[in-house]
Amino acid sequence: MSLRTQLAILVGKSSQWFLRTFLKGGSSLPGQLALKIDPKILDTLAKGYEVVVITGTNGKTLTTALTVNILKKEFDHVLTNPTGANMAQGIVSTFLSAKKKRGLKKIAILEIDEASLSKVTEFIQPKLFVFTNIFRDQMDRYGEIYTTYRLIVEGAAKAPEAPIICNGDSPIFHSIETINPRKFYGFQHQKPQEQMAHYNTDGVLCPRCHHILHYKMITYSNLGDYYCPNCGFKRPALDYQLTEMKNMTNTSSEFIIDGKDYHIEVGGLYNVYNALAATAVAEYYGVSAEKIKAGLAYDEKVFGRQEIINIGEKECTLVLVKNPVGLNQVIDMISLAPRPFSLVSLLNANYADGIDVSWIWDGNHEAFAQMEIPAVLASGDRHKDMALRLKVAGIPEKNLKEVPSLEELIPEIQKLPTKQVYILATYTAVLELRKLLAAQGYIEGGMDHA
Amino acid sequence: MPEKTLRVCHLYGNLLNTYGDNGNLLMLKYQAEKMGLDFQSEIVSIHEIFYPEKYDLVFFGGGQDFEQLIVSEDIQAKKESLTNYIENNGVMLAICGGYQLLGHYYIGAKGEKIAGISALDHYTLSQDNNRFIGDIVIHNEELDETYYGFENHNGCTFLGENEKPLGIVKEGHGNNGEDGTEGALYKNVFCSYFHGPILARNEHLAIRLIQTALKEKRIEAKI
Repeated sequence: MSLRTQLAILVGKSSQWFLRTFLKGGSSLPGQLALKIDPKILDTLAKGYEVVVITGTNGKTLTTALTVNILKKEFDHVLTNPTGANMAQGIVSTFLSAKKKRGLKKIAILEIDEASLSKVTEFIQPKLFVFTNIFRDQMDRYGEIYTTYRLIVEGAAKAPEAPIICNGDSPIFHSIETINPRKFYGFQHQKPQEQMAHYNTDGVLCPRCHHILHYKMITYSNLGDYYCPNCGFKRPALDYQLTEMKNMTNTSSEFIIDGKDYHIEVGGLYNVYNALAATAVAEYYGVSAEKIKAGLAYDEKVFGRQEIINIGEKECTLVLVKNPVGLNQVIDMISLAPRPFSLVSLLNANYADGIDVSWIWDGNHEAFAQMEIPAVLASGDRHKDMALRLKVAGIPEKNLKEVPSLEELIPEIQKLPTKQVYILATYTAVLELRKLLAAQGYIEGGMDHA
Repeated sequence: MPEKTLRVCHLYGNLLNTYGDNGNLLMLKYQAEKMGLDFQSEIVSIHEIFYPEKYDLVFFGGGQDFEQLIVSEDIQAKKESLTNYIENNGVMLAICGGYQLLGHYYIGAKGEKIAGISALDHYTLSQDNNRFIGDIVIHNEELDETYYGFENHNGCTFLGENEKPLGIVKEGHGNNGEDGTEGALYKNVFCSYFHGPILARNEHLAIRLIQTALKEKRIEAKI
């Protein structure tokens, strides 16, 4: 270890200790400092670790959490980065915080932002990549889905020997050849039936001949058993398959992957995909079905980004929504909930939410109109846009109320006619609501969630 | 009752559907039904024929570069029928990429010139590493209407002599950030860069489009 590297680690670790002890926080500052002193510090810090990198638009966080839970049962030491710390400084901070353990089987499961991947792979050589999916996000940080895909393929190419385990149901992951070998996971749970994606879906063009893709099975959005009737392009053979959905409720799912029964205590088909990705990683490392089962069954709502908050008498399920595909998956999940329930929809348009609220019109709010919801509240900074969206979707005006501020919202929620309440909120609306609920004593803490 | 039906063509609706512009279609449906009309919509996409007489209103949205490129090739086969529709006073709303493709050409992400159908007289250049992003407000003097929206475009569009702007920019950038115009009006074709979507933020424009379509329909029925 060079003197520079030693100094970098010393500065990083002591600043981390200082921040934790006196400021009660971690942050990415220690990583930033250490990187400044030694840009190649990850070479040293990541030494001895088997590194797995998880990236994609939706599902990074839960896939990472589930993978960690499973691999903890196999490896002596599992390191992971907290949500949000998914860029280079955050990764350095994560390694700095690791306790030194010699001679043990060590693995790092890292959630990495799509655009940051190639910065991180400049310094670390991951042994495995996981690509969850690529959907359009109204944040529009990297432009189009095709641009995003190219970014992560280039990022992975810096560790060309590491296989990519990717979502075989997503046509884009089969669109261009990669230097890295690929393995595919996907759904094979229904009898083939000729169909096409809903017209308002992105990424339905055949990447080879530019005709519109057909499907034998669709799970959601443009995911499924696709094929091109014109040139024969089709879904690749699956290495890891979900062959049966045994049961699905708004709070849990039971399914069979590669002949083994599993269940997760979180609702939503999109979360089954996350479990499938985590299982594929576990199978790749030869983890037994018993350990996978135990890792998946681990029940802690925080990692599902769904939590129950009691506001007075009301049992509120708070769900973060951040883009149209994610929103539609949440709507599908809510459709499975026992009736009756009320709905609260919070829309903000700060930078972290996406400053253009047009994306709500790509969400299938029309489905709510079929759920006989007795009361719907529209709130957040852009409550007017949300109220109009819900009105046009067919929510009767007598059941719909606009609540301009979150302060007024909390008493309004307590007046709702049902015990069960679903609260959908964009990122900064979640933060603001939690802060307010914490200030009023409904929950502990506030800002450091989501 | 065919005269009580609003027949809408969603041009390339399965490919050009980025940025919530499908909301325009939902708003047309909502307003049409409020007016007591039956609402029908149909997608006409690549490798399909556009029959002008089948529709009272055409909605043409924008999409990602890749999809737009594919559409720019396909739409050449629909050039004549779309031009006929427009010249015969067909009502159309074209947003962003749809707006650009009705003109002579636009410049793609790699600097390449991508052909439109020259049904309208504008053309679109690109900006280097810049986009016009943010809220925008425009005013149309003739109709005395104000429109609100959100713009997010790299393209700089310049109108031809026989086109009018949809409005004059009060806030924001507009067609090109230079001449104070936003969007285009030609016969019954309404073009704009507005997202939001435009008809959700401007219900009066949705009503205007439907009323114009109904007026044209009646005239056609008399002949």
